[in-house]
Amino acid sequence: MIVKKRGFAHTLCMLLIVSMLAACSNSGGGNEPANPGASTNGGTAGTTEENPYKDKYDPPVAISTVWGVDPALTFRDGESIENSVATRWALETLGIEVKSLWSVTDTNNAFVTKVRLAMSSGQQMPDIITVNDQLLAQDLIDSGRFQDAGALFDQYANEKWKAAMSLDPNVWNAYTKDGVRMGIPVLDYAYNNDYLLWIRQDWMDALGLDAPETIADLEEMMEAFRNNNPQGLSPEQVTPLSVGFKSSMNTWMGDPSWVFGAYGTIPSQWNEAEDGSLMYGSVHEGMKEGLLKLKEWRDKGYIPKEAALWDENKTSEPAVAGTAGIIPGPYWMSGWPLLDTEKNVEGAVWKPYPIPTGEDGTAMRHGTHFFKGVTLINKDMAHPEAFFTYQNYLFDNLADPQEGSPFEYGVFEGYDYALDANGNPLYLDDVPGGTITAPLRYFLVRDGARIPDVQFQALMNLADGKEPTTYREKELVSSYGPETALAATVVMEQEEISKKEMFVGPPTSTMKSRMDYLKKIEAQTFNEIIFGEKPAEAFDQFVATWKSSGGDDITSEVNEWYNTIK
Amino acid sequence: MEQTQTPAVKAGKQTRGNRPPRQSFFYYLAKQWPFHVMVLPALVFLILFAYLPMGGLVMAFQDFKPWLGLTGSEWVGLDQFRYLFEREDSLQVIWNTLVIAVFKMVLNLLAPFGFAILLNEIRKQLLKRFVQTLVYLPHFLSWVILGGILTDLLSTEGGLVNRILTGVFGMEPIFFLGNGDWFRFTVIVSDVWKEFGFGTVVFLAALAGVNPALYEAAEVDGANRWKQTLHITIPAMLPIAIVVGTLALGNVLNAGFDQIFNLYNPLVYAKGDIIDTFVYRAAILNGEMGFGTAIGLFKSVISFVLVVMSYRMAYKLANYRIF
Repeated sequence: MIVKKRGFAHTLCMLLIVSMLAACSNSGGGNEPANPGASTNGGTAGTTEENPYKDKYDPPVAISTVWGVDPALTFRDGESIENSVATRWALETLGIEVKSLWSVTDTNNAFVTKVRLAMSSGQQMPDIITVNDQLLAQDLIDSGRFQDAGALFDQYANEKWKAAMSLDPNVWNAYTKDGVRMGIPVLDYAYNNDYLLWIRQDWMDALGLDAPETIADLEEMMEAFRNNNPQGLSPEQVTPLSVGFKSSMNTWMGDPSWVFGAYGTIPSQWNEAEDGSLMYGSVHEGMKEGLLKLKEWRDKGYIPKEAALWDENKTSEPAVAGTAGIIPGPYWMSGWPLLDTEKNVEGAVWKPYPIPTGEDGTAMRHGTHFFKGVTLINKDMAHPEAFFTYQNYLFDNLADPQEGSPFEYGVFEGYDYALDANGNPLYLDDVPGGTITAPLRYFLVRDGARIPDVQFQALMNLADGKEPTTYREKELVSSYGPETALAATVVMEQEEISKKEMFVGPPTSTMKSRMDYLKKIEAQTFNEIIFGEKPAEAFDQFVATWKSSGGDDITSEVNEWYNTIK
Repeated sequence: MEQTQTPAVKAGKQTRGNRPPRQSFFYYLAKQWPFHVMVLPALVFLILFAYLPMGGLVMAFQDFKPWLGLTGSEWVGLDQFRYLFEREDSLQVIWNTLVIAVFKMVLNLLAPFGFAILLNEIRKQLLKRFVQTLVYLPHFLSWVILGGILTDLLSTEGGLVNRILTGVFGMEPIFFLGNGDWFRFTVIVSDVWKEFGFGTVVFLAALAGVNPALYEAAEVDGANRWKQTLHITIPAMLPIAIVVGTLALGNVLNAGFDQIFNLYNPLVYAKGDIIDTFVYRAAILNGEMGFGTAIGLFKSVISFVLVVMSYRMAYKLANYRIF
């Protein structure tokens, strides 16, 4: 009997645990079943109007969406992405109710995974979805559940938005399928990824050196930095030019792509050749000279001996430590990471300089697309015009807020700014309850609305010596590095050498099966040549292998795509 | 219910004497059901998270598209496997994986085995515990961190190891992470250094179970320390060594993704690229789930065969069975 009782006790315990588990999973799943059908509410609003587009909808119409929430994004107590100041604002100002099908904290690509799962399990797709991931965007477009966004854009978008979009007509290319613009590109600030050289001005001054105009000038400078170091460093301690090859020869900081630019090509991207077709930059003949130049520099100690092991962040280490003389990178580096150099070496000054040219004056740098991600519009969306009401308003008022705009001082009062008794704006720690740094992320389309050249225009104004007056100008002065404005002028000076990746279409069939292998032999060959493990002829052999192992097929597929959008 | 119970009852009646009766499944079920209920959650867990997902293996034979799902995606037969073997570098990648994994497996068995014997000879309990904990610690470090530390330690420009090699031994600096052969060496040695403490703990546990009477008897018979080790300690550890070895064999195609991924670079692709890093680049980064699944399935099949073989061998050679 005792045994039996014990058995019962155990069983009861276990049953309790099981039921608790079950309860947990129930409550976990309980949030979701309520959602399907959320967007159908919108269908009841009036459809008899001649022009459905309005500046404000009464009764309100609904737009359903899904959210990948940046884990760093903060909220006021009691608010969430589904119910935030931005959703209330949309309802009050525009009569648009933003409904959330679901949201997920976007760590480890959770958003992409969840969308894929939703797709494969046949769940309802939202009216509006904004995705950053190029592959996911192509999958969503291929799924056939979204409509011709380009036609809607032409019909409903306002002048300001259209003007911003036409700054670069190529922005549509990535999302054009069979000639139909299937998604609206999310515009982003221009030149974020365009390179220039950051050079230690204090070293230059001490050595009496001028800005390097050619690669030869640059070599002279590196020689002087190394062997005649003004900071008293021994040659082994100096990294005259901090570059790394671990990730790629074409990345976001500290890569040597511009060195090849002096020989007429940018590696690891598709460039337009002289005959107007697209060509893969890494198989251009100019690569060979560039590789030999890098080998020479490595042998002479101008670039890190272990550059093949260095990724982007590693290249910034000697720069910040004050032992590097030159680091290539974008204009914003004056803020992060270079701002910290002064803490390590007193009197260290970084100044931006243009990319040096080759002997014949050739120079190239990799460019920046004007878009980052895409917004797709569901085929079954009841009121697609409402989305344009929302975005038009933001482009008119938020994208480049002037005096008198509702976004004059910031995005939302009490979030990223506050007003004191006299109506003066307060920022950061002065905001009651602490600041919310990025309420822009609460909007339907990430970052609300951005006009690509606005950031740079503001920077150019500042560089001209204009006092910061607008919110954007003040922000640039307060939260970017001291040389950012100057760097912007340097970037603009060389605008014509900026080469964007020209292939933005979906991966072609040969790419899917062959591209990884081709990239692998590319990285391997280039590094082995620079490190002297293979002779320069290995490059010719690489080109031959590249072409015969699928490269030729990929090139023709890429050009086929290019012809459809040209 | 009536019908199913009767044979059980009959069976119970037929047995006589003290011999435990051989009862039917249902007899035991009726008697032990609370225990079965206790196992149930674990079983449900296993089915949900280990067996059901196996259905996804069909992806290996499909050109999987998320919006078409498992049922709607196009069947491509063995195409995914063909991709794997058509690549010019796939044999090399498999070979790299085998070399690195086998060396790691053998050394990760021998090093803790030897170290446990040595540690077992230490008389001072405090010192023994201290050393044991010390060598166990690296096991808890992530390769992301260790990758950074190793890169700095092994650097040819002022790395500690190379400074000692050049300064004390007068050697040329060695480019540990940039030379294919040295890369393999570094990967294997650093993995053994990281993991041998963990294995040592397992072996020490086995040694703690050895009856002290055996050692006393051996001493009476005049066996010295070395003889005792040879005839008592090592035989006592062999069964557990076989278990550890058998289990490790299942990992023969896992050369350690996080380690290689954090340490490798284009210079050592020829000798350091393994199946897992290859899958990461070719399948995960490109969203090619079918291809990734095919390689996963390929790995599992090989591992399964090896585990079965080694298990048979362990039974034949050492008369040891786990199940």
